[in-house]
Amino acid sequence: MPASARMPAQSIPASTLLAAIHDARVEDVVMVPDTHQRTLVELLIDDPAIRTVHASTEDEAVAIAAGLIIGGRRPLIQIQHAGLFASVNNLRGVGIDGRFPLVLLIGLLARDPDLAPRDDAGSMVRLAEPLLDTLGISHHLLDSAEDVALISAAFDEAEQRQGPVAVLVGATTS
Amino acid sequence: MSMESALDVLARRRTDQAVVSTMTALAPWQERSPHELNLVCLGFMGGASSLALGVALARPDVPVWVIDGDGSLLMQAGSLATIAGGAPARFLHIVIHNEVYETSGAQPLPGGGRVNFSEMALGAGYAEAARFDDAEAFDAAFDDLLAKPGPVLIELMTAPGERFFEAKPAQPDAVPRLAQSWPPVRQALAERERG
Repeated sequence: MPASARMPAQSIPASTLLAAIHDARVEDVVMVPDTHQRTLVELLIDDPAIRTVHASTEDEAVAIAAGLIIGGRRPLIQIQHAGLFASVNNLRGVGIDGRFPLVLLIGLLARDPDLAPRDDAGSMVRLAEPLLDTLGISHHLLDSAEDVALISAAFDEAEQRQGPVAVLVGATTS
Repeated sequence: MSMESALDVLARRRTDQAVVSTMTALAPWQERSPHELNLVCLGFMGGASSLALGVALARPDVPVWVIDGDGSLLMQAGSLATIAGGAPARFLHIVIHNEVYETSGAQPLPGGGRVNFSEMALGAGYAEAARFDDAEAFDAAFDDLLAKPGPVLIELMTAPGERFFEAKPAQPDAVPRLAQSWPPVRQALAERERG
């Protein structure tokens, strides 16, 4: 689709995303804070029904989430696109080789909302989807509040694939 | 002390702990302490402590040990702060400190021999940390350290061995060891929870 015909990415209210995360029966959110999802991060930290685990790096977050799954929990990894690039070795070694049904919520910070991520001028946005494609990790883009059911669907897909699935947050949360 | 003598001390005390081992300690640990709650960290150097933290946070009723390497921990040194923040009370972090990257041919670690993991752990917020140069002293102090609320880090100064890893191409359709090892551990943990 040409850029001119594309609907601009819309900001999704953090409360809508939080409700979708509850619908997905998430018990733990393993996070490295993301400016793009700041409002959601704040709600998650204050939510008594969800435990937040604060990791120093994104590859730690991947391994922690895998350990939580071994212990019977249902974690979500919340990071920024820069963290996706930082976490590649554990995504491969833990997520892919270990066959863990991991779900990642990844903020596309500073994305031009009028463009598809692959057409963005910034390398962190532009290269995120191609990197996931290279790794064979399925990914889905949240570009409006109508897309939030993709979070629950990502958990089902990760279980079915026995591997990681990424959900990309297209516009800054409100 | 030798790594083997340190692992002997651990194996004698091992009862029902979930144990993550990595790098050069992995094979000798499996030999000394075969158990349904053994997990392997292979193919993602540096991730053992974080994998163990996840298990510990999921199952605070289960004691969790991680047998880590010095080079491995340096690759993910921020995990010390993450573990301290998670504050798992039954978490024992063993660091085999021989000051070399043994599996690649015993090249020196960064730091010129000045790195002190027990001080790093305390600085990061661990509840307790200790460093031992010989197996007898470690053996004598171990029960007291095990009784303390965690996270606890024990740094074991060991002599480097000759454990160069001979890399082999993966076989087609082979299931990686981590993928083989964790589903039975999850099942065993679930069965213990059900009683």
